[in-house]
Amino acid sequence: MRATSKLRELLGTGKTLFVPGCYNALSAKILETVGFPAVYMTGYGTSVSLLGLPDAGLATMTEMHLNARYIANAVSVPVIADSDNGYGNAIGVIRTVREYIQTGVAGIHLEDQAIPKRCGHVAGRRVIPIEEAVGKYRAADAVRRELDPDFVLIARTDARGAHGGSLDDAIRRANAYLEAGADLAFVEGPTSVDEVRRICKEVQGPIFYNQTGISPRFTLDEMNELGIAVTILPGATFRATIQAVYDLAKELRERGPVAEADFNERFKAHPLGNVHTFAGFDQVREWEEEYLPAEEMDKYTDSVGHQPAKS
Amino acid sequence: MRPSTRLRHMLKEPGIIVAPGAYDGFSARLIEAAGFRCVYMTGAGTAASHLGQPDLGLATLTEMANHAGHLASCVSLPVIADADTGYGNVLNVVRTVREYERAGVAGLHMEDQVAPKKCGHIAGKQVIPTQEFCDKIRAASEYRTDSDFVIIARTDARAVTSLDDAIERGNRAAEAGADVIFVEAPQTEDEIQRIAREVRAPLLANMVPGGKTPAVKIPELERIGFKIVIFPAVCMAAAVPAMERALTTLKETGTDWHDGPVLSPMDIFRRVGFDWWHAIEEKFAPRS
Repeated sequence: MRATSKLRELLGTGKTLFVPGCYNALSAKILETVGFPAVYMTGYGTSVSLLGLPDAGLATMTEMHLNARYIANAVSVPVIADSDNGYGNAIGVIRTVREYIQTGVAGIHLEDQAIPKRCGHVAGRRVIPIEEAVGKYRAADAVRRELDPDFVLIARTDARGAHGGSLDDAIRRANAYLEAGADLAFVEGPTSVDEVRRICKEVQGPIFYNQTGISPRFTLDEMNELGIAVTILPGATFRATIQAVYDLAKELRERGPVAEADFNERFKAHPLGNVHTFAGFDQVREWEEEYLPAEEMDKYTDSVGHQPAKS
Repeated sequence: MRPSTRLRHMLKEPGIIVAPGAYDGFSARLIEAAGFRCVYMTGAGTAASHLGQPDLGLATLTEMANHAGHLASCVSLPVIADADTGYGNVLNVVRTVREYERAGVAGLHMEDQVAPKKCGHIAGKQVIPTQEFCDKIRAASEYRTDSDFVIIARTDARAVTSLDDAIERGNRAAEAGADVIFVEAPQTEDEIQRIAREVRAPLLANMVPGGKTPAVKIPELERIGFKIVIFPAVCMAAAVPAMERALTTLKETGTDWHDGPVLSPMDIFRRVGFDWWHAIEEKFAPRS
């Protein structure tokens, strides 16, 4: 089954789909290993991890969709990817949606920020006029109808927290974008539980909720009750990585190489402590046994190092 | 010597720099083989050949910089590359300059169009305010890491506001740190003359057959006072009808064998450096 159809199926259960964020293929694989049925590619994390740059519209469409492609190739669960403001006007959106569909991700969110965009939880955002944004969603809808009607289109509005914006404006925009063809509405950056309630009541379609930054946190039960269709935690694994890498780096700096040996001792007991197995070497050996000449497998005899499991 | 330093020297030496436009590695090679001393990477040609799309701001910074890198690495001439609007605001401009520097080109031109941009010879262009443009040029000039890297400021204002405004923008951009000024699409020879007289900076002329600017020959441009002339379309305009003719012939005759001079695979490989690579192969071949 195509990833897009799989995501449609997950969205059809009527329950809140809980999708944590990944920022590269590795973090996506970890989320899949733990059992999440879908993963989300964060643009913020992509920008920082791939380029070492802040989420300020500096990552190009090429860089973003390549990261999405690596992630989609690394996991078998559907991927929802950040596609910022579509990298241009409606014409740019046409190319962006085509490129993202080709990456194998199951859906994207596309926002109404002016170029260059920035993180939805950092001040200084500007939005384009609603008419122009509607044209972009209509263009995106037409492209996916042509190439893959199951491709999920999530319309994000940044009007709640943008310069001169309001929650009223954001709700009006969300409804207009749904009418233009979007499958889900993503009102970025509500600041209170009451605001989220209003969004769920007044937006006439499935709600995509970004549980991060300035927005309130809910339990899954609360979100089911509110009627939220999808919720993402874009930054969780990204922040956890920053902390883990920093802490280890600091320890290495202070205690020297011995800190690595100590870390490895602890890591051995971790569920993913066997990195070679997690990376997929068993699979490689299985393929070798299946498709290479039998004598080729002699290379494992007397060769030093991790021995991948025989199938 | 770095290509940027070479281009700097060429800017200081007397004589006009002629840069035919390459749209891919092959055309860049042919430009070098023909004896030209500079290559121009056309953005319109990049979008058309690399993506198969029109010049409507669809090519990303990544694609343009990668393409520039391919051209720069297959010729030993300095390459001047089209960098459109710098792909965003001043922050994107700084990133663009650094990516182009790393691509190994000698310089770039950056214009004052509103993003997404359009080809300079197509209607419907819009320009950003002069101050915003100058800030972008200043950012480009201050944040290049190679002080020899050549920043060319292009204004598209002639078609949007007026020639007076375009000349004013050219002078302001030069004050903001541009090394060369490129006033896009003047419409008469008088306008070309006025640009040469009134813009106080080295000038780039853009010759596009079928565009808005009348054809002026290289010696005349040099006499008027231009320092660089680019011919963005020269290779692509020759290649497209040739490919169309060849495809029609294939369809009609059922073969691509013909009576005229034949270009063998080796003829093609020779044009893209076969002998140079072969010499290396020979040199390091195992001795038996």
